[in-house]
Amino acid sequence: MPSEKDNDDVVRVDFAFRRELAEKVEGNLASFCYQCGACVGDCPATTYSSEFNPREIMLKVLYGLGDELIGGDSILWQCVNCYNCHERCPQEVKPVEVIISLKNMMADRGIYPPAVKKIIHTFETTGRTVPLSDAINRKREKLGLPPLEPVPMDEIEKLFEPLEEEGEE
Amino acid sequence: MKRFAFFPGCLIPTMHPSMEYAIRQSLPRLGIEIVDLDGASCCPDPIYFKSKDKLSWLAVAARNLSLAEDLGLDVITNCSGCTATLSETVHLLQDEELRKKINRRLARIGRKYKGKTRVRHIATLVRDEAGYDAISESVVRPLEGLKVAIHYGCHLLKPSSIMQVDNPDDPEVLERMVTALGATPVRHRNWYLCCGKACQTEEIPANMMHDLLRTVDAENAEILGMICPTCFSQFDYGQMKISKMFEESFGVPPVYYFQLLAYAQGEPYDKLGFDRQRFKPECLKRFEES
Repeated sequence: MPSEKDNDDVVRVDFAFRRELAEKVEGNLASFCYQCGACVGDCPATTYSSEFNPREIMLKVLYGLGDELIGGDSILWQCVNCYNCHERCPQEVKPVEVIISLKNMMADRGIYPPAVKKIIHTFETTGRTVPLSDAINRKREKLGLPPLEPVPMDEIEKLFEPLEEEGEE
Repeated sequence: MKRFAFFPGCLIPTMHPSMEYAIRQSLPRLGIEIVDLDGASCCPDPIYFKSKDKLSWLAVAARNLSLAEDLGLDVITNCSGCTATLSETVHLLQDEELRKKINRRLARIGRKYKGKTRVRHIATLVRDEAGYDAISESVVRPLEGLKVAIHYGCHLLKPSSIMQVDNPDDPEVLERMVTALGATPVRHRNWYLCCGKACQTEEIPANMMHDLLRTVDAENAEILGMICPTCFSQFDYGQMKISKMFEESFGVPPVYYFQLLAYAQGEPYDKLGFDRQRFKPECLKRFEES
């Protein structure tokens, strides 16, 4: 019989968290991480921040330590999205893609930094990240450029809804 | 003339129409015809909307690609972000199961993504379809002696397995395109750093830009050669901020490559919108006078 003390040394993996992540596009790739750290040396966020480390983020994913990754002040937003880790990883884990999948999990919980939420809202309502205005089209006309037309949002909105069999995305 | 479906994205047509003007002027001179892609939306962006929901991101991107498929044309992009989204979509939707899933969403609006279209950034396109010599031949105003610090940014080159543009550790495409204008490309020591725009903290992009601008200055570069509108904004607005934060004086004007190309092809300085920049590339005017 293991003592209570021994039990405390056991790492308990949260598989519910890992299964939820694995549902996301390329969210399952962290499983192939063998913690070599090739992603760290070339990571600008690691160079310029004392907190951000893609290898540690992948380790937390493997342990299922969701609470340390997704939350109001998540460290994941320090990622500069440069794709160096994707380039370097010998296991094709694509740490940046795992990080974006984790951000998808945060979005499912309604957690975004305000600046990010604002741009997403602009896209979801206008189909562009910069909304159209008369001033823009006047500026274009002066250059002899064709006017920008509104994006057919009736079509775009229909693409946001998950398929029935996808269930809770 | 070779025809391509032009996907201008969000930033260039709205915030930087002079870049679009330059593209529309310069590409036909290289034998490339631009066909407008009616009904297109944001790519969608690979930083913000992708962070919300990758499946919806893929569905909207696949819709944009299907518009080009209707025309039977390959897609050309002028923004590294759009290039990333659309290229990744083509790559990911090679997976049959995922493609079926996305096509079930597209079926709601009577569309289908077939996987027939290629996506190319116009820099790659010019290299592969026209060639460096054709660029040189189109130049009427050689930019001799102009020192251009090259900034590749991230998403033109990486991930290289998907983008298939150049070797991200030692690329040459932009250097050769700048050389073709008669100018001198400069590879400063921190050339590989990112602009930091996607990062949601202050310190990381500020310190990174500071390091980058210092090595640009050390090489006495006259302009920064840009290929991405996001990097462009980050350097145009950002240099003022960095100068203030670090109490140093930075001010190398960023210039989008296709504006530089159009200028070398003879477009007047005043028509290229340089006056709207925070840091104006007035050093270019010396080529107009000669």
